[in-house]
Amino acid sequence: MYPSLINAAVVSYICAMGLALAYLVQRHDLVHRLAVLATLAGWATHTVSLIVRAVERGAPPLGTLPEAIWVGVWVIVLLDLLLEHRTQVRVLGAFVLPIAVLLSLKATTVRPATLAPALASAWIWIHIALAVIGIAAFVFNFVGGIMYLLQERQLKIKRPGAFYYRLPALATLDRLTFRTLALGFPFLTVGLILGALWARTAWGSAFTFDPLAFFSLVAWVIYAGTLAGRAAAGWHGRRAAYFAIAGFAALVLTLGAGLFLPGRHGS
Amino acid sequence: MPLFVAGLSHKNAPVALREQLAVEEDKLRELLLDLQGGDALREVVVLSTCNRVEVYGVAEAPGEARAVAFRHLCRQRGVELSAVEALLYTHLDADAVQHAFRVAASLDSMMVGEPQILGQVKDAFALAQACQTVGPQLHPLFSQAFSVAKRVRTETEVARHAVSVSFAAVELAKKIFDGLSRRAVLLVGAGKMSELAAKHLVEQGAFPIYVTNRTWARAQDLARALAGTAVPWEELTTALAAVDIVVTSTGATEPVITHGMVTRVMHGRRGRPLFFIDIAVPRDVEPGVDALDDVYRYDIDDLKQVVDANLRERAREAQRAEALVEREVGKFLTRQSDVEVVPTIVSLRGRLEEIRLAEVRKTLARLPEATPETRAAIDALSSAIVNKILHAPITKLRESSRAGAGRSWLELVHELFGLGRRA
Repeated sequence: MYPSLINAAVVSYICAMGLALAYLVQRHDLVHRLAVLATLAGWATHTVSLIVRAVERGAPPLGTLPEAIWVGVWVIVLLDLLLEHRTQVRVLGAFVLPIAVLLSLKATTVRPATLAPALASAWIWIHIALAVIGIAAFVFNFVGGIMYLLQERQLKIKRPGAFYYRLPALATLDRLTFRTLALGFPFLTVGLILGALWARTAWGSAFTFDPLAFFSLVAWVIYAGTLAGRAAAGWHGRRAAYFAIAGFAALVLTLGAGLFLPGRHGS
Repeated sequence: MPLFVAGLSHKNAPVALREQLAVEEDKLRELLLDLQGGDALREVVVLSTCNRVEVYGVAEAPGEARAVAFRHLCRQRGVELSAVEALLYTHLDADAVQHAFRVAASLDSMMVGEPQILGQVKDAFALAQACQTVGPQLHPLFSQAFSVAKRVRTETEVARHAVSVSFAAVELAKKIFDGLSRRAVLLVGAGKMSELAAKHLVEQGAFPIYVTNRTWARAQDLARALAGTAVPWEELTTALAAVDIVVTSTGATEPVITHGMVTRVMHGRRGRPLFFIDIAVPRDVEPGVDALDDVYRYDIDDLKQVVDANLRERAREAQRAEALVEREVGKFLTRQSDVEVVPTIVSLRGRLEEIRLAEVRKTLARLPEATPETRAAIDALSSAIVNKILHAPITKLRESSRAGAGRSWLELVHELFGLGRRA
């Protein structure tokens, strides 16, 4: 039941992504509406899959890294739907859904059956949940940065193309990257601290080398630097966008390390 | 009854003729009443703008009705009918519906997507209504044309992107600042063009407005006209630091805003973007400022380039709008033909039901000993026969009417079944 639900949700997301990208090229209301419908259908199936998993397990569906990523995708899609509805930036899906699809492909291919024995304390669940929400916020930080760079480029070269007409104003995009950074950072920070505390109680030391922990620390440093730069030196716009991309790259390495390298976060 | 539109427009008639034919409102009222007095036209709406003069009518003989209408119009305007007649186009029924929808949606306009035409069509319709020359055919046509025009405006971007330099500049500002309310504007130089751009910005909520000029008196004049503040020419750099949008249009031969000035100014702005709209020739802002972060500079050629891109975008959207109109025409015709055919179907059924009931009554009167079952069976049998017989003609009527050939079939059915004259 669980795998087929995941597959159904992923297929819906892939359709939604195709439609969202088509909407970027051929601006047609119907295409956008279908994209939203496909996203909603995928998200509803996704929700059911999470409930089924939680009931089967008797525990939150966060026990393994692929599972945690699958929950992350759920948060990302939810935020995408909400933000698109609230800000009326209808091209958001075209940027967010490809990332959601890439992340969820991992959820379908890796299906470990057993739960790591260390996952037995409430603190560890909170650690995972906070990290997942933080990463979801940083997806939007990244997307905001990309959209900012595209729109800024259009305005600088003075030849309006598809992105000029479809993307919102620079000020809006800059605000999006800032707010998502401000939202994601506390989650990531507390998530990291809880992880370190947990490591100390479980393994006796907070700082033994683990590839995922290492890269997430790198990402944290990048994000902390951006926030500090924003506050102290008024960093914004293009520079903030570059940092959003760098931070996200570190997060991608973090997840990649967790999935492909041996370490404590692998199952 | 046939629906037609006849007229001439910017597409086929020279402006000299169009302006001669254009009719003002009270003359138009006179014309409508004249036409209504005659018996050539059952319903009529006359649309007269500087780009088109068109008669929308319902008449037994559209050709004749057209001639009558334009004879009246030419006599009223003192134009030779022969000069007009050769240029007239005429669209009938489905084509007339399509034409009406395209005109109202501004797809037939000289500048596709321009917003005035819908208001003009609405005025023409309202006037005809006031003169009571609108009836059951033109009324639904125009109501539907208005709603199609609205759909085209909201669902396509055919009317969205600016086609004038000053509006294009306002749109650019909106892509930088997300809303212009409380954005400060500085006018450098007091030209007509910059005044126009400033007015557009003010309409979008820009505030406050500063004006500076080498001649202090002119700065004050323009500041007064725009409810702004005049700033001495020497304080140009200070003013630059305080505003978001700068419109320049001086007659200076050398740039008045240099790369060095802007670099210094940007230092203190903590990343607040600065947008230069340079409509002066020769240019007032050094092009080198493009390289600075958060500085956007558009000169007159850049703005024209944006307008060209907007026009291309509009043309693409116009194709989508045409498809939308096409679909709406189809829907409208289907609805109309259903409306046309329903009364006939109702009276046909009524007529046969009458016959059936009479015959059933007669038969039952001759069978007093019949059981309730027998009576019910006779009733059902007669109903079944009537329905079977009616099925084919009713289907045929609906089909032919949707295919646009309903009228002759309707008359045939009326003749065959003796249903009496149709209204």
